[in-house]
Amino acid sequence: MDNDNTPFPAFGDEVIRATELRKTFELSRRQRRLDRTNDVYRVAVDGLSLSAYRGEIYGLLGPNGAGKTTTLRMLSTLIKPDAGDAFICGHSIRKQPDKVRDVIGFMTSELKLEGFFTPSYLFDFFGAMHGIEKSALAARKQELFSRFGIDKFAEVKVKDLSTGMKQKVSLVIAIVHDPDVIIFDEPTNGLDVLTAKVVTDFLLELKAMGKSIILSTHIFSLVEKLCDRVGIIIDGRMVADGTISELCDGMTLEDKFFEIYRETKGENV
Amino acid sequence: MKLIALMKKEFLRFFGDPKLIVTMLLPGILIYLIYSLMGTAIFGGEEVYDFKVYVTERSQAETVIAQTVEANEGWSIEFLELGELTPEEAVAEVQEGNADAVIVYPENFDEGIASGGGFDSSLELVYNSAETQSLRIYTVLNAVFASWGRPFALTASDLGETEAFEMQMMSGFLPFLIVVFIFSSCMSVTLESVAGEKERGTLATILVTSARRTDIALGKILPLACVSLIGAASSFLGVALSLPTLMGVSLDVAIAGVGALEFFFIFLLIVSVVPLIVAAIAAVSTLSRSVKEASSYTGVLMIVVMVLSIVASFVSGIGDWVVAIPVLNAVVAMQGALMGAASVWMCLTAVALNLVYTALLVVLIARFLSSERIMFGT
Repeated sequence: MDNDNTPFPAFGDEVIRATELRKTFELSRRQRRLDRTNDVYRVAVDGLSLSAYRGEIYGLLGPNGAGKTTTLRMLSTLIKPDAGDAFICGHSIRKQPDKVRDVIGFMTSELKLEGFFTPSYLFDFFGAMHGIEKSALAARKQELFSRFGIDKFAEVKVKDLSTGMKQKVSLVIAIVHDPDVIIFDEPTNGLDVLTAKVVTDFLLELKAMGKSIILSTHIFSLVEKLCDRVGIIIDGRMVADGTISELCDGMTLEDKFFEIYRETKGENV
Repeated sequence: MKLIALMKKEFLRFFGDPKLIVTMLLPGILIYLIYSLMGTAIFGGEEVYDFKVYVTERSQAETVIAQTVEANEGWSIEFLELGELTPEEAVAEVQEGNADAVIVYPENFDEGIASGGGFDSSLELVYNSAETQSLRIYTVLNAVFASWGRPFALTASDLGETEAFEMQMMSGFLPFLIVVFIFSSCMSVTLESVAGEKERGTLATILVTSARRTDIALGKILPLACVSLIGAASSFLGVALSLPTLMGVSLDVAIAGVGALEFFFIFLLIVSVVPLIVAAIAAVSTLSRSVKEASSYTGVLMIVVMVLSIVASFVSGIGDWVVAIPVLNAVVAMQGALMGAASVWMCLTAVALNLVYTALLVVLIARFLSSERIMFGT
């Protein structure tokens, strides 16, 4: 495994800068009962700051419920922070969500494609949604479909595609507008080994293309394989952040994570 | 460009799925079959009629009535002056089945018509709905007098019990039926397209793009309104084509009182009501978490719409304020148009207000689409 994931020196630009992001959710009565709490609100993200740079893959690592997905949803403008702000390619997620959406590609298992349509049609549709010109869109479709082996299935309805192919189509459509930043929530969650490999190879390809990627995961090996920089989130707070070599200081990522976890929570796992 | 792409997608989704097209057209076919069967059951097979109608005075209207009656094969009519009979005795003749109707004209009817108004009393039609023949001539007389640019009021007295009431209800109910058909048609496509997409997570995929929320809302409502219009047209045709059988007269008699202007207004009113109902269902669907939940809420909405429409059918003399109430305004305006007495200002104001309400709902849906609590349940 290649652990030398230091950022490309030539890509030092800070494409994502989040400052003191905070997000609170109101708990439903049912949720309060399940959690055995009287608290009406739960802080999902608590003053989180991070920086990610051009040409890097940044991994948000943390246990379930730590606030990873909420952070990525805020960065992708699907939800608004209660406090703090983040700038993606210089655009504020609070004040310029439309501009942010033009420069990001967001991928998550929650976002689905309509099974009734073909990959070719959906690519054109989402291209139009991003305002891409037809000729440029056709060229990009040819390039991406052939690169990811979708061309043979371009006219097959999405519902009839294999899971792996569906995932490839989702990925390709998320970057139809050639975004500078790709936000990916739990990229390999629930995928079989073959599809998971398609996804990780895809991310490395995007990185090779000079894209900046921020992903969330709780899989140590995935971070070690893909990420240049990692941020560890526990209970909505960023408790450690840096390149893998800076952070681990000779330890494995897994050992380092549990050490930080113990220090933060004061409890063993 | 984005709006056009969004609209094209909706059209493709609908017209690419034969099941959805069948779902749209089936109600019209079923309505035609059921209503035709109902009409046949009510009127039976007797097709030769020799009508006897008492009149309080001779009028040129008789020529028009006779022409309309004789346009039906095997039908003829005889007008009898009261002579020594009192109006009460003529009514008794109708009651006993010896005559089919009594026309009580206002005094100097023809002169009044020629001079264009000034009648002290109304023109009264007396018939007996318990007798099929009497009911049929009443339908003809009502249609003929309704078709005139009436400077006189028209009242009808039924000596029979239920059937005429049912028939009256049927004509009065037509706008109500149109609205109900429009609602069901809108419901079948909108629930799936909005709540279905939200439930499946495909709507969120569009929200991540830089498309404006108003474009997304309009991109749903405009195509769905067009598609719903097809469904509503199918249902409307089903009613219109079965109406002659249902009312026991030919189509031209059934709609004799409805001129080109009235049809145009009815069309405009339908066109204004369809996007309004689609937008209302789309708003409810956007608020709901699933198609199931949206169906429940839309059921409540449908009850509200039905109650508003029934109110318009039952309550007479509703004030002009009704024009401000969505849907109800269209029902009342359509009733006026179907009676050959369309109020131009009411029709146009109802159309304009319904379009304004639709625009407000589009803005509301766009806000819903921007709300993380509604879209993502946070």
